[in-house]
Amino acid sequence: MKRRADQQPGFVLHSYPYRETSLIVEAFTRRFGRIALLARGARRPRSAMRGVLLSFQPLRLGWSGGELANLVSAEWAAALQPLAGLALMCGFYLNELILRLVPREDPHEGLFDVYAESLARLSVGAPHAAVLRSFERRLLAELGYAPLLERDAASRPIDPARLYVYEPDRGPAPANGAASGELAVSGRTLLDMAKDDYTRPETRDEARALMRALIGERLHGQSLYTRAVLLELNGL
Amino acid sequence: MDKSGVPTARGLDRLLEALRVLPGVGPRSAQRMAYHLLQHDRAGAEQLAGALAAALAGVRRCARCNNFTEDEICPLCRSPRRDASLLCVVETPADLATVEQTQSFSGMYFVLMGRLSPLDGVGPRDVGLDRLLERATDGVVQEVILATNFTNEGEATAHYIAEMLRARNVKASRIARGVPLGGELEFVDIGTISQAMIDRRTL
Repeated sequence: MKRRADQQPGFVLHSYPYRETSLIVEAFTRRFGRIALLARGARRPRSAMRGVLLSFQPLRLGWSGGELANLVSAEWAAALQPLAGLALMCGFYLNELILRLVPREDPHEGLFDVYAESLARLSVGAPHAAVLRSFERRLLAELGYAPLLERDAASRPIDPARLYVYEPDRGPAPANGAASGELAVSGRTLLDMAKDDYTRPETRDEARALMRALIGERLHGQSLYTRAVLLELNGL
Repeated sequence: MDKSGVPTARGLDRLLEALRVLPGVGPRSAQRMAYHLLQHDRAGAEQLAGALAAALAGVRRCARCNNFTEDEICPLCRSPRRDASLLCVVETPADLATVEQTQSFSGMYFVLMGRLSPLDGVGPRDVGLDRLLERATDGVVQEVILATNFTNEGEATAHYIAEMLRARNVKASRIARGVPLGGELEFVDIGTISQAMIDRRTL
């Protein structure tokens, strides 16, 4: 990693207490990807960084040093309306996806921009499903697993009237007769997803199940904390 | 220890290892503490060992507010002078102590002993939300004041408690945030001012 950087657009994904008064910040930066930074003294009562090092806020970060660089500066870059309620949970979910799936120090400028835009949309109350599905699709594409949505596994155009079964490594294959389960998806849904159009309830349901399965493949069977916590909350 | 009171190397190692469970204590601090206790302050060490054992055996969670206490129900929850219709929810015993210091709140408390933290897998049951709901819907509590921290995790915690209380027709309120008392705008961090603008109120 570059030893010194200044005024880098970035977000805090998560932070952990370190020693008595410091924080380890997992940041997602535009030019350097996901990096860990040590924010010395950031947990002191009068630390100027306290009100700044918050998730979901566009920041400009400066750091210096090697493997675990010291955070030197953190500035407010723009004011987003803070996420609240379910939008806040969606924000945690996006952060967990990045933390779990994007390797450290691997720049993904396109994904960074989509992430920033997703947060901005969540903060003004955009429909959550549309924001999450288009982010997930872009994330998979950045990792080299772009879902095939406009053509089937044999490169034929998707027929909106047909039912498909999505094979994670190959793409959608026309279903013979009745298919069910999270990998069963209508041609119409695949084409809607290709256009990021989630106005149809059926598209939302099928797309959520499909993306969940495809992301599950990338997580190699590990489950996501945010999903488990949300399920538990809904059960109370 | 052997009979003469000199620590065997193994005893010292175990002490060093044990001290490192404390937050912020690494190998070097642990070594300094261990040598201090064994060399210079053996009476203090005795006292520490006794206090630790007694606390572990005697201190438990209050059945009503979840704070640490030696009784089934803590003195604060038993006090007839407190207003049982107000319930203030805080994250930690330290937060409770801070609100108490203000002497501006005369209601009861519920200590979560944490906060929802989805990224760390800390869910509602880990912070006793089920017990809080039971407490808040006992018919005596009229208003629940959410005094969790103004972090994203604290906000998520407050939001979900509020939602659950709304579904059960219990009034929920959130403590206000903004520029600190005596604060001069010039010296207040930008995030706080930005939030204060959003949360402004009509006069």
